[in-house]
Amino acid sequence: MKRLTLVLLLALVFCTSAWGATTTYAGYQYWPAGQGASTSFSPSWFRNTFYKTATFDTTITFIDNVSYSWHATVRSSGTYVETYWLSSQTKKAHCRANTTGQSWAACTAYS
Amino acid sequence: MLNQKKGWRWLVLVIGVVAAGVVASAVVAARHDDGIPADLEAALHDDPLVQVAGIPAENGLERRGVFVQRTSAGFTCVWDAPSATSLAKQGGCNRTGDPFAGRELFVSLAYDGGPAVAGIKDARLIGLAAPKVEDVQVLMSDGTRRVVRLRKAFIAGDEYRAFGYRFKRADLRKDVTPKAVIALDTKGEEIDRQATGFAG
Repeated sequence: MKRLTLVLLLALVFCTSAWGATTTYAGYQYWPAGQGASTSFSPSWFRNTFYKTATFDTTITFIDNVSYSWHATVRSSGTYVETYWLSSQTKKAHCRANTTGQSWAACTAYS
Repeated sequence: MLNQKKGWRWLVLVIGVVAAGVVASAVVAARHDDGIPADLEAALHDDPLVQVAGIPAENGLERRGVFVQRTSAGFTCVWDAPSATSLAKQGGCNRTGDPFAGRELFVSLAYDGGPAVAGIKDARLIGLAAPKVEDVQVLMSDGTRRVVRLRKAFIAGDEYRAFGYRFKRADLRKDVTPKAVIALDTKGEEIDRQATGFAG
């Protein structure tokens, strides 16, 4: 019984350490200017990224669910853009194309 | 009988550990099922950041640094962060072979608050410029310009100009916003202009 308990504890430790989640919430071949996407609201989002196969002007941010203000916003045409907002507030990750991007690109959020 | 009981216990132990490993592997695999190449993700985590410019503390806003991260995954990244080890970083990357993506400047604009200008509490511009860039200026919405201080930076033997600039609260309060970042050469001629799209 002790061994079984130990096994269950080990399983719990393994699973807890691997529990963080990644969500690619938008991924398209073609991004028309103004195209945006968001995750659902959650307090656990802390990292938001935009990875592209070619450069175009994009914005990534976090939007809280009280004032709907933007936080840790980054606007850049870089191939890869990243921001962190280390807050326990309930928020959603949001990304948008400011100019048309004719290449595959994806927005990914982490919790 | 005793040996048989011990054998069953060991079997339970082995099955439990294997099951835990399978579950953990599945969860880890799910974490990496994303839009970012695994080598870039690892490099962003492991490769060091080198400070190339700074943004002084001002009006209660914290000091920040401008950092370059030349990654082993073939990307050159520019970050705005409180320190080289801080998780609270913001910025972006381009391929090391073409760090300016065919331009003379690689810029990122970071801000907190908004999106309406009246709600913005802090706005910063960071970037790298090609060595032939002598001056970087920000064209504001009222037609005035802000001169951005450039610092020479050498990353893995390559020369750059680095900069970091915090926009004045007085400007933002008056709805004077950055419209474009302009690069000038040694003759004072404009060699690049990139719209900021600020708060847009």
